[in-house]
Amino acid sequence: MKTEQIREEIRETNLAYLMLSQRLLREDRAVAMVRLGLSEETASILEQLSTAQVLKLAASSMLMCRFRFDDEMLWGLLTSHSKDGSVPAGIHASILMAGQPLAQAA
Amino acid sequence: MRTKSLVDEARQIRVASDLVRLGARLQVLESETTLSRERLLRLYKELAGRSPSKGMLPFSTDWFMTWQPNIHSSLFMNVYHTLIGSTELDPVDALIGAYRLYLDQVDILGAEPVLSVTRAWRLLKFFECGMLTMTPCKKCGGHFVVHKYELTDHYVCGLCHMPSRAGKTKAH
Repeated sequence: MKTEQIREEIRETNLAYLMLSQRLLREDRAVAMVRLGLSEETASILEQLSTAQVLKLAASSMLMCRFRFDDEMLWGLLTSHSKDGSVPAGIHASILMAGQPLAQAA
Repeated sequence: MRTKSLVDEARQIRVASDLVRLGARLQVLESETTLSRERLLRLYKELAGRSPSKGMLPFSTDWFMTWQPNIHSSLFMNVYHTLIGSTELDPVDALIGAYRLYLDQVDILGAEPVLSVTRAWRLLKFFECGMLTMTPCKKCGGHFVVHKYELTDHYVCGLCHMPSRAGKTKAH
């Protein structure tokens, strides 16, 4: 991939992420924080960003979002294709995910 | 009329409406709002299009210990604790938010919601009065619903150690 293309794709992902976050937060703040995995501080910052700021933030060479979970067990469950049906594995993963604390703003 | 402020009354009606839409029984509304029984009945009929079911609410903690209900309850409680721990929600709003997230997650997995909102509310009451609590599974580290005075030193959850007939209560 050319640098130009990488930049463009990161910008688009950032933009989609930031806009989705803002929309969810404005709709139902607390539920959105859990869905997005955001702390109170980060949620407040994101909520107050103007459109111009969102556009500026999105046009970065770095991605604004990152993986929420680094639990090996959880990744195993999420990617398992076991025969015993995916529902128990899915619920197991959901329980582990829901139990993770929300990320703190750096 | 017990509610004085209009703003407070509007809030209570909103809470009651949310609960009715999620399928709550009348007892839940009576406990979580200070609106009169007559008004709650009217609200219920208006939103649900029928009279609320009558009869006692389930009252035993044992249901929450059986395999499938335990897993669903644990999922709900994990969401609820995350919500209440990191936001400034009232407990009843956290119940509504956590229950919506629970429904959403179960739906994505293609499973049936085993926990009704009335059961979820009951579950929170059992936590409040100290009959139920959460304990970490020694294998996966996830938190699960258990009886308060159960011995949990070597607790392994129903998902790490699945009973052979788990979830096969209904014929498919």
